[in-house]
Amino acid sequence: MTPTRTFLLLLAAAVAGAPSAGAQTPSGQNGGARALAPGVTVDVNPAPGSGSATAPAKIDETALRHYARTGDVERLEAEIARLRALDPAWEPPKDLFTPQAQAPGVDETPFWKLVSEGKVPQARAAIAEQRRQSPSWQPSAKLLQELDVAEDTARLRQASDARLWQEVTEIAGTRPDAVSCARLDSAWRVAEAYGELKQTDRALAIYRTLVSQCPKAGERRDTLYKASRYLSPEQVRELAALATTANPAAGEDYTVVGRAQADLETGRLLERAGSGKGGALSPDDLARLEATVRDRRDADGALTLGWYFQQRKQHRPAQEWFALSNQWAPSDRAAEGLILAHAGLGEKDKALEAAKPWRGRSPRVDKAVLAVERPAGRGGRGGDGPPPGPSPLDQALAKRDYSACLTAIQRMAAKSGMTAALAQQRGWCLIELGRPSEAEAAFAEAQALGGKTGGKTAAKGSGAAPAGKTEEEAAYGQALARLAAGDMAALAHDLPALPLSPRHRAEIRASLLAAEANRALEDKRYHDVLRLLDARKEVEPEPRNLGILRGWALYNLHRLTDAYDQFKSIDDRLSTPESREGVTITRKTIYHDWQ
Amino acid sequence: MKRRDLLRAGLAAGLLPAWGSGALAAAVRAGAGRPARLDPAAWRAYIRRFVLPEGRVADTGNKGISHSEGQGYGMLLAVAADDRATFDSLWGWTRTTLMVRGDGLTAWRWVPGEGVSDRNNASDGDILIAWALLTAAEAWRVEEYRTAAVTLVQALAAAVVVEQAGMTVLLPGRDGFRRGTGVVVNPSYWVFPALRAFAAVPGGAVWKRVADSGLVLLAKARFGTLQLPPDWALLDAGGAVAPAEGFRKQYGYDAVRVPLYLAWDGYDDPYYFRPFAALAARGGGDGPVPATVSLPGGVTAQVPASVGMLAVYRLACRLAAAGNTVTVPPPGPDEDYYSTTLFHLAALAGQSLGIEP
Repeated sequence: MTPTRTFLLLLAAAVAGAPSAGAQTPSGQNGGARALAPGVTVDVNPAPGSGSATAPAKIDETALRHYARTGDVERLEAEIARLRALDPAWEPPKDLFTPQAQAPGVDETPFWKLVSEGKVPQARAAIAEQRRQSPSWQPSAKLLQELDVAEDTARLRQASDARLWQEVTEIAGTRPDAVSCARLDSAWRVAEAYGELKQTDRALAIYRTLVSQCPKAGERRDTLYKASRYLSPEQVRELAALATTANPAAGEDYTVVGRAQADLETGRLLERAGSGKGGALSPDDLARLEATVRDRRDADGALTLGWYFQQRKQHRPAQEWFALSNQWAPSDRAAEGLILAHAGLGEKDKALEAAKPWRGRSPRVDKAVLAVERPAGRGGRGGDGPPPGPSPLDQALAKRDYSACLTAIQRMAAKSGMTAALAQQRGWCLIELGRPSEAEAAFAEAQALGGKTGGKTAAKGSGAAPAGKTEEEAAYGQALARLAAGDMAALAHDLPALPLSPRHRAEIRASLLAAEANRALEDKRYHDVLRLLDARKEVEPEPRNLGILRGWALYNLHRLTDAYDQFKSIDDRLSTPESREGVTITRKTIYHDWQ
Repeated sequence: MKRRDLLRAGLAAGLLPAWGSGALAAAVRAGAGRPARLDPAAWRAYIRRFVLPEGRVADTGNKGISHSEGQGYGMLLAVAADDRATFDSLWGWTRTTLMVRGDGLTAWRWVPGEGVSDRNNASDGDILIAWALLTAAEAWRVEEYRTAAVTLVQALAAAVVVEQAGMTVLLPGRDGFRRGTGVVVNPSYWVFPALRAFAAVPGGAVWKRVADSGLVLLAKARFGTLQLPPDWALLDAGGAVAPAEGFRKQYGYDAVRVPLYLAWDGYDDPYYFRPFAALAARGGGDGPVPATVSLPGGVTAQVPASVGMLAVYRLACRLAAAGNTVTVPPPGPDEDYYSTTLFHLAALAGQSLGIEP
């Protein structure tokens, strides 16, 4: 076997639709980014004496020589792959890197340079000017094709970004080759458009093509993630099976597809368990879910399972899962569950024991304790007067039954009128139920009610004036609701004028910056990712998931040493699949070690 | 009647209307560089229909008003017809009646019985007038025309040439076309052969940049399935182009001049002509070619393209080499000012390219 040298092809950013497809997408989950395995990997054979055949005359090497001349290794590799696909017998010319005499006539280098810089309109202009000056000259077919593809890809991307799904499919109709592994991003966007248009069959057809034709395991895995938004669990399973078995390429490890499918399945089951919708899980599903959560020491998953059992009055397994969650990652949420599970088991002492670390520090723990003690007259938090034992609302909150919360509030409001505090509580319950738009309205109502009753200070106060506590909390809730609803741009605009405490303002600002950074990564604006994360760091320390995001931005900017250091420092603190993936891929890229 | 719609749209938005331009000249150096000639009989008919004795061109499609664009077109056609007397009459009226702003530019609109009704300038009108003066100076060896042209070109460079997103672009008028960090542009104000002539004037280097940016702008300003340019576009600070808000979002009476001016300056890259040929093909066969197309939606007007517009499409089809052609009927006895003017300009452009007799 001849020694091979392998280039990693990444950074397809410069020209959309260039034949190299650097697959790199963030996953929407947890606001973190999932960086995918690098894109096309191509073997080049520069080995001396490897006897490469002379290229058949019909292979157009114009672009190849251009990329070699300009040192654009990434496109060079992609072009080699493309030409090999056209003619498997073809070998790259040995003299690729030796200076070539220019063909007579017009030198196309300046146009190719513009194209490779993403300056397609400028390239068009320069070509028109050249044609005006040299009437007998025609640009090469390869150059024109490159321009057409770049323009159509950009149109498709614009239409997709603008959510003009019909237009996306129309553009794809005029450019059938958009749906190919070579232009994976376009293909995904077309499938997404069909998904949004509820033409699931056509979306599925594209996803099937991609998972069975694209050789890279990472590409197949990403396709699976994309597809899961539009397909049923059964269809995703079928797609995963196809992705693991169809047309395997040598050296590719398709087990990542299976793992991704398991991830999706777990996520789906957790969501079902957590939402309380869709009824009980089947014993099989439940067993699978429990095994996965245990396997991953997933504290959030354990919480979800705890509540799943608690709501079914299975207090023992609930208590066990809350305890595991608390053990893996101590939190007041886990303590809250633990308190209520123990209470359900009649273990009041253990309940109070579990509450100890959080009492007076966590309102949710205090509320849970309140529900356990049923202390008529023994008020927890002073100032409100002695509470008359747990009301239906308190009970609902203690049980984390947010639908009951809404019902209780509705009853109370019907009885004695809506108050700012009630409206606000309603907002929080709506947030917990994942209904941000209604939550926003509830917080707005709280603000209005607060302004009516005690709003003298806040009524005309400038941003600097201290806002009332209720008003502040309502504004905070409203901002969180808008964050949850994805109303980023407008929220960023309004933020300076909102009556928020400095701490909450900083928190919202940090969340906005994190969301922007995620979006920038999606758009492959890697410099912006770093800028946004740096700005966020000024506000508060960088959490782990954003640290991973930063790592991939550095990686995609080819700041490989920085990326490696970033991943390594995260991995040293706590090693997880995400951090290990970053470390491994970056190291392999640095050392060209892709065997 | 069609252009009247446009005029109203512009006025309703409180903006400059967009007028066109084109022109010709006894000694145009564009393209194949042959001096273009306007047939004497056609020119006599043009004078009879549109040129009033005091030296103004009446826009018969718009209640007989006059504007800087019309004066510019009239002066260009006069040079092409080698009619110095009419040229002097047109230039004299323009200078004394419209050049009243004090900054060397031309008030764009004059209404009978009212006089100058909007003192803002329309950049294409100024460009056409200056270009006509330059071609006249060359045709008849009159230094005075040249001096006036140079003064006007310099006033334009100072007032309406701006840098935006790395491009050098034309404001459609001195006032009223900035939108926050963006600027409104009119792609049909890039009278390419005129810009080339300006670049040759001492100190005129900026006009080469305007022309170069125009080609880039046209490569960016392509919308809808036909990829047509809008009459009015917004160029934002990041260099992105979109149909401008506050104007009718369409390709139409303004932008039809884009292929005319490109061809006239010798450009023949099919990429730049294909959208217009495709539109002509859309009408092709039995149906008429629509006068306007909404962007990016692609809704076409019921109103058919005028004879002058069809003449432009015939030119565009040849250069797009798309295989289709357009039949252009002779102008009717009551063909309006704009259609008739476009008809003659397309003929002159074709001559200068050497593709029309």
